[in-house]
Amino acid sequence: MLLEQIINGIVLGSMYALIAQGYTLVFGVLDKLNFAHSEIFMLGGFLAVASVALGAPLPVAFLVTGGISGLLGLIVEVVGFRKFRSRDAHITAALSSFAIGLVMIDLAQKIWGTEAVAIALPDEMRIASIEILGIRIVLVKLAILALSLALVLVLHLVVVRTGLGRSIRAVAESAADAALYGVNVTRVTQLVFFIASALAGVAGMALAIRTGYANTETGFSFGLKALAIMAIGGMGDLRGAFLGGLLVGVLEALAFQWALGQLADVAVWLFMIFVLLVRPQGLFGAAGAKDTRA
Amino acid sequence: MIQDYVMFTGVNILLAWSVYIILMSGSLSFANGAFMLIGAYVSGVLTVKFGVPLLVAAPLAGAATFLFGVLVGFPALRTRGIYLILVTVGIAVSVRGVVESIAYVGGVQGFGGMSGGNPWHIVALVIAVGAALWVVSRSPLQRILDAVREDELAARSLGINVVHVKLTCFGIGAGLAAVAGSFYAHYMLHVTPDGFGILVSVYIVLYVVLGGTNNLWGSALGAAIMTLLPELVRGVAQWRPTVFGLTIIALLLLRPDGLLAFRIPTVRLRGRSRPSRHDAARNVATPEQW
Repeated sequence: MLLEQIINGIVLGSMYALIAQGYTLVFGVLDKLNFAHSEIFMLGGFLAVASVALGAPLPVAFLVTGGISGLLGLIVEVVGFRKFRSRDAHITAALSSFAIGLVMIDLAQKIWGTEAVAIALPDEMRIASIEILGIRIVLVKLAILALSLALVLVLHLVVVRTGLGRSIRAVAESAADAALYGVNVTRVTQLVFFIASALAGVAGMALAIRTGYANTETGFSFGLKALAIMAIGGMGDLRGAFLGGLLVGVLEALAFQWALGQLADVAVWLFMIFVLLVRPQGLFGAAGAKDTRA
Repeated sequence: MIQDYVMFTGVNILLAWSVYIILMSGSLSFANGAFMLIGAYVSGVLTVKFGVPLLVAAPLAGAATFLFGVLVGFPALRTRGIYLILVTVGIAVSVRGVVESIAYVGGVQGFGGMSGGNPWHIVALVIAVGAALWVVSRSPLQRILDAVREDELAARSLGINVVHVKLTCFGIGAGLAAVAGSFYAHYMLHVTPDGFGILVSVYIVLYVVLGGTNNLWGSALGAAIMTLLPELVRGVAQWRPTVFGLTIIALLLLRPDGLLAFRIPTVRLRGRSRPSRHDAARNVATPEQW
């Protein structure tokens, strides 16, 4: 039973990790908080519902959801961040992205209503399970976990091993210096927003499949928590965001097991405040470590 | 009806000013809804359970929240400005959650039994706070705030204790939001933690942005318009978040760095002879413009 909850927690945590990767990528490159990110995650759930309802097979639905979410991310970048690049504009960028998030929630509620909308997947698919070493595991959870881990791994390889990743890291280090070395800063920023938002959309779809519903409230209740996780893991630290996601997911599942579900939500934020106060570089990062920054 | 309008407009103006005071020192707070909640509950417990009169309980709630704001703000301000934004989001979420789990004040059901909230208290308070802020805007204190907001490094070189200034503003803003929350709760008779979620905090910040951040009348005007417009025009009420969000975005885009553009009068007086640091940073970041 305990082991089962831990597995649940890891699955949950892998979704947190996916969203937190996006927060931390954008923060690393721009040094700004993207408050519209959690709403793109929310829209990902509805895009999944819509594409499944149109008869798209799951892999296609994932591609469509990720693609459209990525494009939404580009819109967020152009509208909410393009003009606010200076270092002092982090307040303005936070406000504009929050305003975009508000519009997204409102439009989603106008289109799909304020109630949860069910995803049209057969129940057998959602509850099919296998038994490993005496533990029943729902297959969908395993699939979500595998997908999340694969995506995080690919992202890590792209950032660390490719030329593109080198440009991303260069812009994160210093946009001005990167520009002097011929990196197209605008292009890199757009790409980062596309990747971050696509990951958030896929996470939203994963949550919709896992719970069976898409809901306009998940942005604030679930997506925003990934922001706290990003700060816990160290702002701009990809590895920290991933580990932080898994850690919080497992702790939350255990809290749920011990009937502390309500307090678990609060605990994440209190823990974030605590981490920011005593270890601003994040739980896992060394002070001033630059190599893990995206 | 008219009493409701006066009350809600007044409370929202006070809340807008509570954010404006924090913004004046160059910080941003998404926690003022939570500070309002703390004020509502502290004063409510004092009046209902201990029989303290409201006019005593409200300042006490304000003072308690001031201390709370200073305690949580201090370590965050010591590091980096952007951390304070995150910390305020954390406060907004966790204060609500903590209050919801305290049975003594009714938990999720909320807390009731307050009474005696009077719109004219709020009107008097709006006038008093407005006058105080106006006096500050004409005093040397305003120039200290301007220095801290525009360039922390330069301010520090002039011997200004930047952390001290920012922290005081953060605490006063928190306290003012708590006082507004006290009167609001005693007018509503019953409050729930749910009614002070993070969206409330966000809306307060957006009132200020809408009205204009470079003077205290702008914040008041923004709060008044956004309170009364949805009441008077039904179409706006239905599309409130979209209308509101798009207006804010348009405003920020048409005046880039609009939020920090406090020095409009100075620019007009001296002409644009001095290229601002912001423009330089933007040019470096976009080589296509060269």
